[in-house]
Amino acid sequence: MPDRSEKLEVQQGTLALMILKTLDVLGPLHGYGVARRIEETSKNRLTLNYGTLYPALLKLEQEGFVKAEWRQSENNRRAKYYSLTAAGRKQLARETREWHQTAELIAAFLAPKREAP
Amino acid sequence: MSIFGTLRGTLARLTGLAAGHSRDAELREELEAHLEMATAENIRRGMAPDEARRQALLASGGLTLASEAVHAQRTIPWLESIAADVRYAFRTLRHAPAYTAIVVVTLGLGIGANTAIFSVIDGVLLKALPHRDADRLVYLRQSTDAVDGGNLGFSVPEVTDLRAARSLGAIAEYSPFSFTLEGEAAIRINVGLVTGNFFETMGLAPILGRLTKPSDDGPGVPPVAVLTEQFWRTRFGADPNIVGKTVKLDGRAVPVIGVVQAAPWFPNRVDAFLNMVISPHHLSAQMIQGRSHRMTEIVARLAPAATLDQARTEVGGIYERMRRDHRESYDSTSHYRVALIPFKEALGERARTTLFLLMAAAAFVLIISAANVVNLTLMRGVRREAELVVRAALGAGVGRLRRLLLVENLMLTLAGAVLGLGIAFGGVKLLVGLAARYSPRASEIGVDFVVLGFALALSVVLALLLSFVAFVPGEGTMASLVNAGFRRMAGTLVRQRVQRALVVAQVAVSVVLLAGAGLLTRTMMQLAEVHTGLQTEQLLTFDVTLMRFGAPAGATDNASFFRSILAADVHVKQQYEQMMDEIRALPGVTQVGIGSTTPLEAAQLWPIKIDGRPVAVGEPMPQADWRTANTTYFRASGIPLVAGREFAATDRPGAARVVVINRTFAERYFPNEDPIGKRVALTGEVLQFTPLSGDWRTIVGIVGNTQDGGLDKPPRPVMFFPFAQELSFAGSFVIRSDSNPALLNPAAARIVRRVAPTAPIEHMMTVAQIKDQSIAPRRLNAALISSLGILAVIIATVGIAGVLAFSVSTRTQEIGIRMSLGANQAQVERMILGEGGTLLAIGLVLGLAGAFFGASILRGMLFGVAPRDPTTFVVVALAMAAIGIVACWIPALRAARIDPAIAMRST
Repeated sequence: MPDRSEKLEVQQGTLALMILKTLDVLGPLHGYGVARRIEETSKNRLTLNYGTLYPALLKLEQEGFVKAEWRQSENNRRAKYYSLTAAGRKQLARETREWHQTAELIAAFLAPKREAP
Repeated sequence: MSIFGTLRGTLARLTGLAAGHSRDAELREELEAHLEMATAENIRRGMAPDEARRQALLASGGLTLASEAVHAQRTIPWLESIAADVRYAFRTLRHAPAYTAIVVVTLGLGIGANTAIFSVIDGVLLKALPHRDADRLVYLRQSTDAVDGGNLGFSVPEVTDLRAARSLGAIAEYSPFSFTLEGEAAIRINVGLVTGNFFETMGLAPILGRLTKPSDDGPGVPPVAVLTEQFWRTRFGADPNIVGKTVKLDGRAVPVIGVVQAAPWFPNRVDAFLNMVISPHHLSAQMIQGRSHRMTEIVARLAPAATLDQARTEVGGIYERMRRDHRESYDSTSHYRVALIPFKEALGERARTTLFLLMAAAAFVLIISAANVVNLTLMRGVRREAELVVRAALGAGVGRLRRLLLVENLMLTLAGAVLGLGIAFGGVKLLVGLAARYSPRASEIGVDFVVLGFALALSVVLALLLSFVAFVPGEGTMASLVNAGFRRMAGTLVRQRVQRALVVAQVAVSVVLLAGAGLLTRTMMQLAEVHTGLQTEQLLTFDVTLMRFGAPAGATDNASFFRSILAADVHVKQQYEQMMDEIRALPGVTQVGIGSTTPLEAAQLWPIKIDGRPVAVGEPMPQADWRTANTTYFRASGIPLVAGREFAATDRPGAARVVVINRTFAERYFPNEDPIGKRVALTGEVLQFTPLSGDWRTIVGIVGNTQDGGLDKPPRPVMFFPFAQELSFAGSFVIRSDSNPALLNPAAARIVRRVAPTAPIEHMMTVAQIKDQSIAPRRLNAALISSLGILAVIIATVGIAGVLAFSVSTRTQEIGIRMSLGANQAQVERMILGEGGTLLAIGLVLGLAGAFFGASILRGMLFGVAPRDPTTFVVVALAMAAIGIVACWIPALRAARIDPAIAMRST
């Protein structure tokens, strides 16, 4: 178990990107799988409770970026599988680009040391 | 986020509102699957099954919270909670049926009255006109101070001079005229004789065929007719093949070339437009050169880029020059003037005062209703405080509670608006009748989207108002509520003051309305008292026009035109004689007379001269009503002979010319001398254009005055010429009966039809009907204002009684203590009466002051009663006081009956 103080809240707006990327990498996946993947990728620094994850999935579905269908899971249980749509793929590319730009900007912004007055 | 994504998302959420339980079940299954997978994983890691599930549940963050979060994402939460508010408000109101009913009915009456009157204002004053660029149209009015000088019209030379104004782009002229439309059921119709540019200037288009154009001007062209849309519909059943058919006007067949679009006609209703060629008089040299021969109405279109002010200045300058250069046509004492009025304003000018008065009265009623509802809401608010405080304590924010109240009030006011619209639909029909008397645009009145918007806006504003006067507990009020033992807690004093102020305002506003209603009602009573001047009302009157004024083909000048109608006159007179003989023989008829005009009807004023009394240039010419009467006219009408003699059979054509005058004529033009034997004559330029003679005529008799042109009109100087000696422009029958004169209608009409099958019979009315018609518009005004006044009083009475009853119920304990300390019932009663009486008295004083200062706006609508008539004010004050005291008495009696023992125990 990681240290409690290391836990991070999922930042507003980043969860959608993480979900889209997860589905892009792993293909169709159920909610549990998405959650596990995000937690593992974050080295368990992020935890997703259902009340965060499922509204986000629903929102992506409503926006047409993912689609959902019921399937048999690996251990023979019915589960709802989410997969990327074409629009979702485009959205992922766009958000990735934007995120990189933002990250660069913030990094550049934070880099300089305090200047002499 | 892409726009399409957002759009798709919103759409999905909207549809999510409708989808229900299946989605919830699906979500539960999905969450359960997640939980199971997490549990299985935990077991794989070596946990015991129970512990594995517990840990998985802990990590989930709560299944209920999750499904709520998903639900919120699936739908639109605030919309859902509003739906909940609506359901809740509906339940609350259903549990308070009395409150709901009173509020809805009160608001319904207020909103209904306002919506109905607004719809009239919208139709008559506000709506856009059908004319192209209607805001560029200007009506020109020439007027003087003389009797009947309100609208003189313009003469051809005057119009020619005005055409020089460069700020006026074009001038449309039309002369009001009337013709007999022959054929089955012949009628007199109003026509406009127009110049070719008329329709182009007015900005009107044809809906069938074509309109007149400049090539229809001048002599030597065929006459053509353009029908108005309304006349085409009512008379010809909207015949789509009307173009090319002919109508027969005063004996002349005229082809219809088109139908013009529906539009309001001003200043008179018009049925058809004709080019000038139909009336040789309008093309005659006299018409074209006679500066004081004013027969034309004009509407001008402002030149591009010209403003109304520029046009006013320029026309004012031109008019000044006209008056200077032609002093003989503009005597200096009559104050000739010309006004430029935007056409839309001119159309509404007669209706404006009446309508704004009604609107103000209706607004007053709405204020009183709203005050009442506010009072009711305040009282109900007290009872609901506990409920609202508990809700606040359970986490409802101030905003949420306000929204709840707003939803509740919106439901009330919208229900009121629905009821109000029902009332408005009914009321509008009544009001269209009223508006038609004042405005040519009455047909445009209706409940349309603008009116619906008005009613909706009213109800939303009222709902907002009601929601913000109510008390809403903030955070932490729960504690103070508990401390106060769940009794009244906040703003009691402030609230009572508001309630009292509202009662005072209600009384004051009711008094103002009652005073207005009283003044208008007194006006009605005064009018009913006016003596018509006729000795009897057992009269049937009607007009039959036999003379045809359509120019016979080939008559190109006045002289030949007059010759032809004078020749026709002989036959016309024979027909009138025959009709009179046959009508006289009808059972019940005691006397029959004939003249040019029915008694009580106004005739045209003519300039006259009096022997031995020359008129200097610049002095106004004496004028008198010109009428004819036969030998039996005065006796049949019951017009008393004051001096001299009536007409006799000897006053034949060729015999000495004689005249009978009325009392006003004698008093105005022969003060301090005996008029009998003096001589008068018609005079002025106008004389050249008629077949009437300007010879001297000797006054042989004086008759009593009659109320011509309306019961409220001042008497006019009148001169009667012998029917037998003058041209029969028109024939008005006066039939005196020894029973109900209306019963003679069918028999008299049959006789006229037999003698002259194509002649129109008009205005068949008894004297009682004429009187009634003269009073009708004022009666409707008085009735409307009175009903609004009575409505106001009823609502105010409920208001006073309600507020006092509430005050008594909150003071039950105090009253109980007072009584147990020795106060008797009478004292308690006096105390409550005193409380109400004070409010009543303040309201009365304020209301009377308001009425005193506001009454002058009614001046133009009153007759025989001063705007500050003391009798009316006293009666109104007494009535309001009496009603108010009764309203106070009911709660006072209830207070006096309080049993101290019970009152003290109910703490």
